[in-house]
Amino acid sequence: MIYKGGEGMDIDEKLIQEITRLVVKQLKQNKQSIRLNNTAMMEGYVETVIAAKGRDPKEVVIGVGPCFGKFVRNTITGISHKEVLKQLLAGIEEEGMKPRIVRVLKTSDLAFIGKEAAMLSGSGISIGIQSKGTTLIHQKDLYPLTNLELFPQAPLITLEMYRAIGKNAAKYAKGVAVIPIPVQSDFMSRPKYQVKAAIMHIKETENVIKNGNSIEIEREDL
Amino acid sequence: MKRSKRFEVLGKRPINQDSFMKEWPEKGFTAMASPYDPKPSLVVENGFIVELDGKSRSEFDFIDSFIADYAININQASESMKLDNLAIARMLVDINVTRKSIIKIFSGLSPSKIIKILDELNVVEMMMAMQKIRARKTPANQAHITNLRDNPVQIAADAAEGALRGFREEETTVGIARYAPFNAIALLIGSQIGKPGVLTQCAVEEATELELGMRGFTTYAETISVYGTESVFIDGDDTPYSKAFLASAYASRGLKTRFTSGTGSEVLMGNAENKSMLYLETRCLMVTKGAGVQGIQNGAVSCIGITSSVPSGIRAVLAENLIAALLDLEVASSNDQTFTHSDIRRTARTMMQFLPGTDFIFSGYSGTPNYDNMFAGSNFDAEDFDDYNVLQRDLMVDGGLRPVKEEEVINVRYKAAKVMQAVFKELGLSKITDEEVEAAAYAHGSKDMPARNELEDFEAIEDLMNRGLTGIDIVKALVKTNYEDVADSILNMLKQRISGDYLQTSAILDDKFNVNSAVNNANDYQGPGTGYRVQGERWEEIKNIPNIINPDDI
Repeated sequence: MIYKGGEGMDIDEKLIQEITRLVVKQLKQNKQSIRLNNTAMMEGYVETVIAAKGRDPKEVVIGVGPCFGKFVRNTITGISHKEVLKQLLAGIEEEGMKPRIVRVLKTSDLAFIGKEAAMLSGSGISIGIQSKGTTLIHQKDLYPLTNLELFPQAPLITLEMYRAIGKNAAKYAKGVAVIPIPVQSDFMSRPKYQVKAAIMHIKETENVIKNGNSIEIEREDL
Repeated sequence: MKRSKRFEVLGKRPINQDSFMKEWPEKGFTAMASPYDPKPSLVVENGFIVELDGKSRSEFDFIDSFIADYAININQASESMKLDNLAIARMLVDINVTRKSIIKIFSGLSPSKIIKILDELNVVEMMMAMQKIRARKTPANQAHITNLRDNPVQIAADAAEGALRGFREEETTVGIARYAPFNAIALLIGSQIGKPGVLTQCAVEEATELELGMRGFTTYAETISVYGTESVFIDGDDTPYSKAFLASAYASRGLKTRFTSGTGSEVLMGNAENKSMLYLETRCLMVTKGAGVQGIQNGAVSCIGITSSVPSGIRAVLAENLIAALLDLEVASSNDQTFTHSDIRRTARTMMQFLPGTDFIFSGYSGTPNYDNMFAGSNFDAEDFDDYNVLQRDLMVDGGLRPVKEEEVINVRYKAAKVMQAVFKELGLSKITDEEVEAAAYAHGSKDMPARNELEDFEAIEDLMNRGLTGIDIVKALVKTNYEDVADSILNMLKQRISGDYLQTSAILDDKFNVNSAVNNANDYQGPGTGYRVQGERWEEIKNIPNIINPDDI
């Protein structure tokens, strides 16, 4: 700690800067200790350790699919995963809760991604998201194939909605009454996007690791 | 390149917004035949199937084992497998070969042999076969009744209108999972007000769906999905055995059940094991048969965008419906999902089931405008009602619907909403206002409905589930609020559980609660002059569309 105007504490500013730089560098290296398939994640994020169950009741876990922000970098409509995560994180933080990101590797199925993330979440609340952008809010005590809120049509989810999803997930974690985000549906989604969705999902599924542990994802700037 | 004016016009046609794929067998993008599909084979030793479609018992996955142990009649197998594919294919369209003898042959075939036989048929031949093979003599239709806001008052009103229009089954689902009990109750009440005897279901997560059924909020179940590859099954935390167990749970409470499957699902779920869509679907159908379930909803269903993207895909959809019928299953033949921007293409796709007739031509037809369809849109919706009625009239085909009068529709919608208001009040649930009742009577869709207080609805739902309310409590509330006719209908629906007659293949109820199934109304088509014919009162009903020129007015 630095005591401004403290007596007798003659600290070399340059030395402090150097120590800080080295510590941050080491932290970043630690974060990079696990790299699956030697493929880096999108800028600003690193995969670190095997994810453990959180204990902080303020925690909301975002569970991402096997390819998210890595082998696939954009949703089905071309929104960058980086922007998507930014909005989800901001939504959770806005409500005063703590986001945490994990990569689920054992499945590409959204319900099970969400359920796994919920099991790891300190609050029991999670957001599950596939690479194509399909999202849900899950809770650890629910059956896998149900959810608190589901956004099944990825092409309709905007960045504003991702932020609202983050906020709603945080509110469930706080235990306050939550008005679900109005359901959206476009009955021409299937003709337009189902083939693309299948191809993206095939890719996601090819990167599933059977019985694989989920991996912690950290933000490099933290 | 300078653009051709004609190509510019063609480029803007709706069909050119659809997605098409080349065949890609490695990832399962082939409709009816993949070079990786196995060669048909079936070897029985000591009363067990020891080889199936080129795999020995030690190589079986759990689907192969289930099919080998439960779905194939081994006493019939050697005789059936010996027959030439083309010879069997010809029997399907031969009016002199009975349904019964064909069903017997198909009880002893391997999955691969079945798809090879089907590949010998063109779509007209498949339709001829469907006309003969579907289980119930009289075709019927099913509706989807949902809305964007999960508004229960609107569900009841739409269910009443749907029943009045002729649907004998109605299915709902949710936008928000927690609404399931309200949607199920609204559908149950509304349907009986439109026309007694309509069966209803609520498609949600399996454990919830089972609980709704056991409480008597639904009268059948359909959303029990089976898949054609082991990995997709496992992805859903399931096996053929667990699905069979779930089916027995329904049967134990006397609830009608059918499974759901369809071509394209394994591709969409990323694990087709390079087999053709039809091969995998045939495995699903045999799992269904093996589980002892009376019927199936199939025909690509929600994966129709995948199947329809490849060559011969819509033909494969008809083929899978037909295979289900050949396995002596009830067929609810899909047509329930949007897959194209083109009105020409969507109509052509539906003709494959509409013309020959199936147990349920749609599963279902959207009884609301498609913007309210929470199955992401059906191939036909409420805005197509008049077109559909004219198609029945033009072709003298029974598609299961009837023309209705505006006044009748408003009346049943109003009554459904009014009854909901009374029952909700009596059971101490959330409030339904007079304004909502009025709006529901005249509404086209949720855009015409006032908003509800969702938080109050959620509280009421939690409360009703915690209090353990059942179908009987609804009957009591209806009696107390002087809607004894509706109470009587719902009680009659609940009684079906005890008699169990509607567990027979392809069962529906008439408006006097008499069962009409493959047992007492078996399809006996054997060419012209036999089978189901549109005639008498039913033809008069179909003929009488409202929009007819009266020569006296000219």
